[in-house]
Amino acid sequence: MTPVSGKEIVRKALAMGADDAVMLSDDAVAGSDLWGTAVALAATIKAQSPDLVITGTQSTDAISGDLPGMIAEKLGFPGLTYARKLEVEGGRVRVQRETETGYMTISAALPAVVSVTKSANEPRYPSLKGIMGAKKKEIKQLAAADLGLTVAVGTGGAKAQLTDLATPPARSKGQVVQAPDAAEGAKAIVQFLKERKFL
Amino acid sequence: MKNVIAFIEHKHGTIRRSSLEAATHARTLADQLGGKAHAVVAGPGAAQAAETLKKYPLDQIHVSDEDRFIDGAVDAVEAVAKAAGPSLVLVGNTMIGRDVGSRFAARVDCGINADVVDFKTDGGEVSCVMPKLGGLVITTCKLTGSDFGVAAIRPNVFAAKETSGAAQIVQIPSSGKASTVTVEDEIEEAAAELGVEEASVVVSGGRGMGGPEPFTTILKDLAEAFGGAVGASRAAVDAGWVSHGHQVGQTGKTISPQLYIAVGISGAIQHKVGMRTSETIIAINKDANAPIAEFADLLVAGDAFAIVPELTKLVRDAKAVHA
Repeated sequence: MTPVSGKEIVRKALAMGADDAVMLSDDAVAGSDLWGTAVALAATIKAQSPDLVITGTQSTDAISGDLPGMIAEKLGFPGLTYARKLEVEGGRVRVQRETETGYMTISAALPAVVSVTKSANEPRYPSLKGIMGAKKKEIKQLAAADLGLTVAVGTGGAKAQLTDLATPPARSKGQVVQAPDAAEGAKAIVQFLKERKFL
Repeated sequence: MKNVIAFIEHKHGTIRRSSLEAATHARTLADQLGGKAHAVVAGPGAAQAAETLKKYPLDQIHVSDEDRFIDGAVDAVEAVAKAAGPSLVLVGNTMIGRDVGSRFAARVDCGINADVVDFKTDGGEVSCVMPKLGGLVITTCKLTGSDFGVAAIRPNVFAAKETSGAAQIVQIPSSGKASTVTVEDEIEEAAAELGVEEASVVVSGGRGMGGPEPFTTILKDLAEAFGGAVGASRAAVDAGWVSHGHQVGQTGKTISPQLYIAVGISGAIQHKVGMRTSETIIAINKDANAPIAEFADLLVAGDAFAIVPELTKLVRDAKAVHA
């Protein structure tokens, strides 16, 4: 789901090894909130009848981390999130889900949605052969009308509507203290902590 | 929206701090909206968690014994929300909180706001204030178009306060459904410790630490002297010195502790976006001109390996005097 300008990113995914690409580009889905994005993406994904849906954990701009769970729910699939390792065997997917203190092993029958964390793997570099091959591949473009959606998404249908956008006050540069030795350095910090009532 | 439902995350009955913050703030918001404050707790240990919740200013505590990973909790929240009528659901912006909140929002087709640091209510309308783009912009989003809404609150922003609560405990009947997700095992790689999201003091190490040892020795000692947690920059996590759960910044956690001490961290933008909303930032770095000097309240330029143990000693002494 991207404006048409996102085509190059899709092309890169093909060069990295994807066989097919489907792109949802339509003004009707522009400005969607998390709910609208989940509805539109789930409809697009469903039309491909996948066995396994793999997503990232969160985007680097909105950083919500909510889409994988929402897509799973909309598809009616089990959702296995925060996976640092995943394997598919005998119609089931098994993942190591990160926790605050380690990990848990969880599994579910396919079809399923898995969101992976950064430690799951290293993205491969597109090979020259991959790049050349990707140029020849067709990127299937879908419009909102192709999805058979019965609800309005996009800016108008948003259930979390942006009403204000502001810039926070910038943090200013603080004090810099040179510490010739450990005692001086530690003393400077303790004095500062006392001024700020931490000690 | 009228009522507020706090989803309570717990481990064998021990409640996460962010959930106590949600329970406390549920009351504040429910009073503003003229509705009731509910809490929902599910899974093994739920009854024990409910006893703790009695000390919080809630109207009803709903207990579900279902042991279905994520789904059991989503079903419980859904049941309570549908019985209560128009409601705002509060979850902590944690891994489990996000999973429960996001699935509930998709199930009932409502809006969801992530990483909320403030609320604005107007009549029955709820707007959420959220830093985005790593705190570069502050957005306000109104929850609309549904009887329900979800807000994932940033840990450590709202206060958790015990009061003389008089909440009624209500049992949610079991659905008898089978779990679609099987939990095979759970491995603790680190001792159960306070997470960086919830600690009021975080001591983080970066590339300058040079290896894994400081994370379990000098940084841990300093963090413990404050009753805080150990964090890390991406460089330290990528090097395999410390697990990903400690990572602060882009692709890690976004935190707002009262005090953030960055040791051997240069302060690249990827790290800055995860900690810039800390109340006070102190950096210890060998380079006085590291980028972190531009936004730290205090930068001490020197040898971290010598300064940190010395600082730990002084902090312990100061705390002992007050104790």
